[in-house]
Amino acid sequence: MPEPRTRYLNVWDDTVGGRDLLLSLCLSTPLTLGGYLLAPGPAPMPLICGLCGALVGFLANTLLFRPKRRIDTGEEV
Amino acid sequence: MDPVILLQMLVAAVIGVVIYTAIGVAPGTDETAVLAPVTLALVVAGVALPVVLAFFMAAIVAKKLTDSIPVSVAGIPGGVMSAPMVEHALILKREGHATLAIRKMASGSVIGTLVAIPISLFLAFLLTPLADVLGQYASQIFFGGAVFLALMSREKVISLISIVLLAALIQALRHFYWGMGVIPEGQTVFISFFLGITIGPMMFNLAQLTVNRERQTMTESAPKQIQIHGSDDTGRLPNPFRILNRQEATSAAASSVLGSVTFFMSPVGITIFLGEVMSSWVKGTVAKASRALSSMDAVTNASYIAGILIPLAALGIPMSPMAIGPGNAFFNAPPVLTLEQNAHHLMSFWEITVASVLGAGVALLITYPIAVRYARRICLFVFTRIPHEAFLAMFFSLVMLLAYMDAGLMGILGVMVLALVAGLLNRWGVNYGVQFMTLYAAPWLMGLLA
Repeated sequence: MPEPRTRYLNVWDDTVGGRDLLLSLCLSTPLTLGGYLLAPGPAPMPLICGLCGALVGFLANTLLFRPKRRIDTGEEV
Repeated sequence: MDPVILLQMLVAAVIGVVIYTAIGVAPGTDETAVLAPVTLALVVAGVALPVVLAFFMAAIVAKKLTDSIPVSVAGIPGGVMSAPMVEHALILKREGHATLAIRKMASGSVIGTLVAIPISLFLAFLLTPLADVLGQYASQIFFGGAVFLALMSREKVISLISIVLLAALIQALRHFYWGMGVIPEGQTVFISFFLGITIGPMMFNLAQLTVNRERQTMTESAPKQIQIHGSDDTGRLPNPFRILNRQEATSAAASSVLGSVTFFMSPVGITIFLGEVMSSWVKGTVAKASRALSSMDAVTNASYIAGILIPLAALGIPMSPMAIGPGNAFFNAPPVLTLEQNAHHLMSFWEITVASVLGAGVALLITYPIAVRYARRICLFVFTRIPHEAFLAMFFSLVMLLAYMDAGLMGILGVMVLALVAGLLNRWGVNYGVQFMTLYAAPWLMGLLA
């Protein structure tokens, strides 16, 4: 559900953009599950690759999207 | 102890501190949701248990210290536990003492941690003989715990009803997996259900977004407004024992002892209760708020540390909201750990002590100076650089990963169903404690009713 850019959604106690949220979910989930499914080697390797995928997804989302918060620093700087 | 393990513990503690110092600042991050999946993943991945414990203790202490930062700097809670402190922090801000709040809270944290570790280990030592008896009646104890927490909560009726309903859903899903042949009969799925409950409120929110009418109520015309006040200290690092006056230090220490003894109760409830009691006989708004903040922060630390250490060192079953929530992986992380063979059985008292002291010590040494000195700058960094979307997407994908590991695509579907129900119940006032206790008691309870 694409949202107009000027509107914000309140999810889990903070504001997000609908489109950005959808995109970040679509980025993180395949990276994480992909890391797990495509990992080389036995037992702990798939989990480790999955976790790395989650971390890469987090970093990518941090760089790709801007936080939707308005910061007011008041009179003291 | 092997020096290689010690070195690993040290590295793990530092990593835990760095990650959870950042997460602690982020608004709305629940301790269970941010800690449980990571701890679980580490245990399942085969990391040595003392190393995981050092990581966990460092993470908890760091998270509790930085939780106070957004409370004092912006008046918004950094987690569920710090919500009751906002009111008192705002009083200090109004009176023009914004930097005082973070100092009082951080010092309370330090005292809470320093008091709780020896007290918990001592209590654990006293309670060890009970372990065998308790172990035999684990299911009944969890059921009793669920009923007890339900009766202590604000929404008693729905909490009591949901014990039976949630147990039915959990067992239904287990039999569904067996029936579909995804899981060999008799093997119990646990991790993904646990995470389903953890991520419930967030999943419920995400599902709401797909419903037109619900989405409209969640739409805001402007981003969340956050006011950041105060200025960072540039002077010498304050001594945590000097920031609090003698009365504040005494009541913080006394609260920590009480918070440790009541390890099996809900930490939020105890925090509010003790904070009010300790500040009730203080006159003057600033003095009252300072006393409340330092005592409350001490209790949250103490009840968290005791809540994990006592069940771990003495009991072997997760008999506290803390152990059954964020620290659950130490007690039950199949196939690596089970209720019969978990970190309690595999770690010696000595290993538990060393890992906890090391983890907590590293966290205090790194995070306390940072929290007191750079509170404002950290807050600004997290609020302006890290989007909430990144946190949501990371937790969502972590849960999907662990659900897939448990039972493939069916596992993902099952977790979504459970998360939706758990999230709705959570919104209605059924707290995590009740839901987690029910997860443990489900097979016994349904067996009884069948």
